[in-house]
Amino acid sequence: MPATENKGLLVFFYICIAVFSVICLVPFVLAVSGSLSTESRIAAEGYSFWPRGFSLETYQFLFGSKAEQIIRAYSMSLVVTVLGTLTAVLVTTAYAYVISVKGFRLKNVFAFFAYFTMLFSGGTLPWYLLSTKYYHLGDTLLGLFIPYVLSVFLMFLMANYFRSIPHEIVESAQIDGAGHLRIFFSIMIPLGRVGLVTISLFYALQFWNDFYLPLMLVTDQELYTIQYLMYNMMANIQFLASGNAAHVGGAIIAPPLETAKMAMTCLTVLPIAILYPFLQSFFVKGIIVGSVKG
Amino acid sequence: MNKKKGWISLLLSAVFLLSACSQGNNESANSGNVGSTGGEETTPSSTADSTKDNATLAPAKLKIVLYGDESNRMKELAKTEFYDVVKKEINAEVEFQFLPWTEYGGGKTDLMLSTGEDFATYTDTNYMVKSVAKGLYADLTPYVAALPDLSKNVDEASFTAFQLSGKQYAIPVGNKPNSAEFYSVLVRQDLLEEVGMTQVTSLAELEAFYDKVHAVHPELVGYAGTDARRMLLYDYTDQNLYWQNDFIALDESVQDDKIISWFETEEFKAYSNLMRGWYDKGIIPKYAATNVPQLQSDWNSGKAMIWAGTAARPFEGAATISQAVPDAKLVNYFLGTGRPKISRGTYSTAFFVSAAAKDPERYLMFFNLLQKNQELYDLFAYGIEGTDYTLDANGRLTKITTDSLIPDWLLMNKNFIRFDNTVPDDFIADYKAWDDGAIISKGAGFNFDNTPVKNEETKLNGVLTEYLAPIGSGFSDYETAFPKALERLKAAGIDKYIAEYQKQFSEWYAKQSK
Repeated sequence: MPATENKGLLVFFYICIAVFSVICLVPFVLAVSGSLSTESRIAAEGYSFWPRGFSLETYQFLFGSKAEQIIRAYSMSLVVTVLGTLTAVLVTTAYAYVISVKGFRLKNVFAFFAYFTMLFSGGTLPWYLLSTKYYHLGDTLLGLFIPYVLSVFLMFLMANYFRSIPHEIVESAQIDGAGHLRIFFSIMIPLGRVGLVTISLFYALQFWNDFYLPLMLVTDQELYTIQYLMYNMMANIQFLASGNAAHVGGAIIAPPLETAKMAMTCLTVLPIAILYPFLQSFFVKGIIVGSVKG
Repeated sequence: MNKKKGWISLLLSAVFLLSACSQGNNESANSGNVGSTGGEETTPSSTADSTKDNATLAPAKLKIVLYGDESNRMKELAKTEFYDVVKKEINAEVEFQFLPWTEYGGGKTDLMLSTGEDFATYTDTNYMVKSVAKGLYADLTPYVAALPDLSKNVDEASFTAFQLSGKQYAIPVGNKPNSAEFYSVLVRQDLLEEVGMTQVTSLAELEAFYDKVHAVHPELVGYAGTDARRMLLYDYTDQNLYWQNDFIALDESVQDDKIISWFETEEFKAYSNLMRGWYDKGIIPKYAATNVPQLQSDWNSGKAMIWAGTAARPFEGAATISQAVPDAKLVNYFLGTGRPKISRGTYSTAFFVSAAAKDPERYLMFFNLLQKNQELYDLFAYGIEGTDYTLDANGRLTKITTDSLIPDWLLMNKNFIRFDNTVPDDFIADYKAWDDGAIISKGAGFNFDNTPVKNEETKLNGVLTEYLAPIGSGFSDYETAFPKALERLKAAGIDKYIAEYQKQFSEWYAKQSK
């Protein structure tokens, strides 16, 4: 009997998950269908699940008028994601190794330093001052990822993962004369692969989705990422449509077409949507492995 | 041994962290240089010229922040022609920085001000009052003499609007007929003629127009907005009301210092009932309550019959609509006659200079260039003749590129503005005469200091969005919804707010009339 009970439960969960997935998918389907519809029919009849008057005009328009900008922003996003992820993973694992290594007296102090920033932060203003005045990150490529290279949460995740690697392996390496650098690069990193992939994915996602750093630190269009380009476009439309614009002389600016907004959304989501199914198993595995010790 | 290990790992982590940071320093310095050399490519010759012309002026750097999208052409010109001209005229290297509109009057602008950056951008009176209280704007009074041409082309009343306790904190730009903003109805004349009408002079005619068009084009919405208190003025009051903010109005037909708590008036009741009628009739679309941005897209894509009018909207708006409806024609109508148009001053906006600016005077010299003469106006607003636009024999403008430069709404000055071929002569004549007989609001130049009633103001704004805006735009019925809204208003402290406003206004008014 238990087997059928389980089956019943399983079916129930599958149904729940299916319903939930459908709910998550609806906006995305609307966006895709919107981007493939003609502007006039969207304006007249609203959105639908199936494109109204199927056409690729919007994409032609986007790539025709803004191709250069979109491609540049796309490549900037790619560069930032790759560079950012590499740097972040290196810094994070190094820190994680330091606080997880056995016999290091100050490791708790270091762990506390990191932990402290999870509880208290200096706020936006000091952060902005530090980034622009002292580190001179304004309008630089580095400014687009350096502030995010150490996520404390992911660092602890990784430290936990390192702790799960049997200490005997490290010990035997030390007996053979390996120093910390060698242990870190030749033992911890290869053995920590799953954890590494997990945090890389988290970082990659964060860098890809980020529009805050460009908003704060970048004014040069060459450095716009695709998310910021999107944000900029939407922000301008919403502000102008909200009526606040009346304060500043009643500026009239034609907002981009409804379908263009949708097409931009699809373009932004696309790479992640394609990549996700292949990598998602690492996410789950990584978190579980990191959380269970031994 | 343990100790040694410890130090090594400490070193390891320190090296990684430091390498990340120091890398940041080096490279940012480098790329900073790359950026500025990019801008300097064109300078050698112009510097040579300018040192001759401007021997007395030391070189300066100016950063002008603008909001919105930076077009490709603007980017190009900012580094070439604009840069050269400014360098030549006032020996300053100007850099334009674009921010999203969300950062206007707060956000990153605030951050930049608070962290002591050297820049200038535009503002409104609300933002000015707040920022001056925090000491973030430079006092520009000593430098006003650096604006010889601008002060000729910008109305004097506009300067007063940006003064606080007699000090000039922002420099107005623009000079355009803008009295009676939103007091007229902007009507799609093509639709009006299609249903056999010629003009709209009263509310009854406007509603008849809606009915007739609705019968022919049921897909069109009536009014692409939710606020019609100005255009309907003739139909619910004998006063000539002018709003200071959402809560407070002035009656411009009497010379006194009395302020009116708008929501507590009989006029608000009458107006709400009119709007309720519009809502029931379908003149205001049902989705307007939740989707205001959609209304503007509706208007822009030619899906609406009327909009709130301003002097410039018939030609500003026509350019947008004609993409969707090529033969669209827009005309302003007032729903009554006999009350003078009210103006807040003819400026478009005003530039402030950050308190940390090294050379505020040079910024003012730059603002002066923006409104100096036809030649510079043409350059900043339209670009280069032959490349960006052409002029015909009558001085009419045809744009070659659609990219916007320094936003033309910002610069718009009736002494310099150029119209394109599609704007009929009689319209230009109307436009230029729009302000004839207009009066400047008796509240123009008054800036409310909200510090004593800051909490009340925040709460009131909450009540406004939740309760009063829906009543005012007809989504909820006045009779049923207002008692509760009024209760909330009182609880939020409307009385204290009004009293404080009245006090400050009376003091200021008394000083003005002396």
